Amino acid sequence: MLSTETIYFVIFTSGLAVGFGHCIGMCGPIVASLSLNLKGRSGLIPHLLYNGGRITTYGLLGGVMGATGSFTLVTARIASLQKIVLVFAGIIIIVMGLAMAGWLPLGSIFGDHYNPEGLLSRGFRRLSETKSTATYYPLGMLLGLLPCGPVYTALIAAARAGMEAQSALRGSLIGLGLMLSFGLGTVPSLLLVAKLADLGWLKRRDIIYKVSSILMVILGIYFVVKGIRY
Amino acid sequence: MKLVVKATLLMAILCLMTFAICPTASNSEGKPKRVDCDVHAGPCSGSLEDIQITLDVEPKPVKAMKDLTFTVTFVGEKPVTNPYIDLGMPGMNMGRNRVILKPAGDLVYRGEGVIVRCPSGRRTWKAKVTVPDVGAVEFVFDVIY
Repeated sequence: MLSTETIYFVIFTSGLAVGFGHCIGMCGPIVASLSLNLKGRSGLIPHLLYNGGRITTYGLLGGVMGATGSFTLVTARIASLQKIVLVFAGIIIIVMGLAMAGWLPLGSIFGDHYNPEGLLSRGFRRLSETKSTATYYPLGMLLGLLPCGPVYTALIAAARAGMEAQSALRGSLIGLGLMLSFGLGTVPSLLLVAKLADLGWLKRRDIIYKVSSILMVILGIYFVVKGIRY
Repeated sequence: MKLVVKATLLMAILCLMTFAICPTASNSEGKPKRVDCDVHAGPCSGSLEDIQITLDVEPKPVKAMKDLTFTVTFVGEKPVTNPYIDLGMPGMNMGRNRVILKPAGDLVYRGEGVIVRCPSGRRTWKAKVTVPDVGAVEFVFDVIY
């Protein structure tokens, strides 16, 4: 039997390993879409917030798994929510793709620079600009619910640790800690993808944005279809 | 030079976005070739050196995201250390999902575990039964979502 400290380390390295393998393939496109949507603006803080939100959800799920000690019980309860999140993620990506290319008249929902007139519109703009970066945290929290094989695997470890804990509270804390460790392990790979997709250095970005927009719309449709079938 | 490197990396990202869609479409069609065991029908057998190993998974049909009981039976020598099972997907790192087996009779070991569901639609999983200090044998099978 592994000690608690060893489990934390094992699950962190597991997060690191699946991050550079599985997550880049499955979550990388979402992160790349977020990066592209920033249109060259500094993306570190939004991406840190996105990852923070994602890890918060992992931690909360880990806490619940640890407290109940049952993986299947909790996942059965959240299955329909995950289906909705999968569809929602697809819709977000489609909207971002359309907005990025300028095919949506409202501009980007995550802080584009459209200039509405009138007191109400200006107020909304100011509000949306303030919220634009902060939006990435709740977005990360929501997308943290996306169904994902390695996350499930880490949650099994959290539930198992909870099952072996002396009390529900202790199980909950261990589950929380394990999932935070796992989430932290997945951050470097997704930050790398975010950095690579940051086009701030490119002078003529228009064509790239148009191509990326089309890919984002296709990707979004794929997510929606997967969500409906899930 | 720096520009070329960055442009190459950018293209890799764009390709990633494209290929994130494609592989799963082909994988979800048809039965993967590597499947060597039908866990829904009954126990699967494999051998490790001179030891015959049988793996059974209950309840049947074997479904993902359900509590499952894994039973490993040996024919021949009894292992010195308890065996264990690592569950994973062929060709994809899904993290460590280990089923701890405990003695449940003469040459029989049993443990609880869960096979998780991959949103990509892939259904092929492998159970790697490891006998410490001896070796490991893999069973590849499809699960039901």
